Amino acid sequence: MGCGRVGSTLASRLSHEGHDVTVIDNEPYAFRRLPTDFTGHKLVGSGVDDHVLEGAGLRQADAFLALTQGDNRNLLAAQMARHVFGVAVVVARVYDPFRGEIFAHLGLRTFSPTNIGADLAYDALFREAPAPTSSARE
Amino acid sequence: MYIIIVGAGTVGYGLALELQALADHEVVLVERERARASELREELGEMIVHGDGTEVALLEHVGARRADVLIAVTGEDGVNLVACQVAKHWFHVERSIARVNNPRNERLFRLLGIDSTVSATAAILAQIEFDLPEHTLVPLMRLHGSGLELVDLHVLAGSLAAGRAVRDLPLPAETVISLVVDVAGTPRIPTADTVLAPGDEVIAVIRSEAEPELRALISGVPVDAGS
Repeated sequence: MGCGRVGSTLASRLSHEGHDVTVIDNEPYAFRRLPTDFTGHKLVGSGVDDHVLEGAGLRQADAFLALTQGDNRNLLAAQMARHVFGVAVVVARVYDPFRGEIFAHLGLRTFSPTNIGADLAYDALFREAPAPTSSARE
Repeated sequence: MYIIIVGAGTVGYGLALELQALADHEVVLVERERARASELREELGEMIVHGDGTEVALLEHVGARRADVLIAVTGEDGVNLVACQVAKHWFHVERSIARVNNPRNERLFRLLGIDSTVSATAAILAQIEFDLPEHTLVPLMRLHGSGLELVDLHVLAGSLAAGRAVRDLPLPAETVISLVVDVAGTPRIPTADTVLAPGDEVIAVIRSEAEPELRALISGVPVDAGS
């Protein structure tokens, strides 16, 4: 859920690895970020709507990732995936590190771009070797 | 009581005024949009706080640790759910109440430990159903924390229940028929021998999940396998 930079990059990678991927975004224009050879499904709709998630085949899904810009949207969708659709692996992007911690305790896998960004910036600041290219960008 | 309200829209604003008018309540109203917060500042003064009511830092700032109740009434279910969960799990606020905009999210919210949910859509829908002459089952209120609810049932002609004594009804477990009002408007407390007639209005306590089964029993329409 969420076809932004992170969502589209990850969807493309998972699809290349042979996984069956569906990307949900309420803005059809967002799908332009997917590479032309993307073979997965694209679904226009709100990821916090249970009917949309049902239509995406969430009941059969092995994993669900909520990667929009909105912490609360991600947390609602992730908990729907876990508790309504019984998805085993659920990941949510949560900018607020405290909020991420709370929901990690509640059984979601969360990650905070804020913490990750700060760590990378810190590393870049004190590193002497030339900066690696792709992984530190974002 | 110290009450935090998240969302200063029409609902939150009205609620804040009403609660503050009651004796001994301290109320803080949190609004994410700066313009709306400023608009209310003149009238509400210190009571309105501009900020994100789902953020730990903001809730800390308004003293969520000593709050008795957090009420989240924004137009976004994600915000309402998360505000209540943060209050409950981080600040150990005793009681959380969430407005549910999509009525289908009500079950999820309750499953996740939100103490009370309020859905305008569901409430209006129930009222409309209640006013329709052919209504069958209308939930009236939930009994707190028990999984039980009070419902209004309308016995239709040709249904399984019509013409049967209460003792012969295949009632779901933990169903208690409390009151029967006949078409003439006479109320009576039913016994096992009371025979239900078409047009009877029945007030009963039931388990929430038994709704479809009871609806089928009094309406003659089979249980929808999908619901």
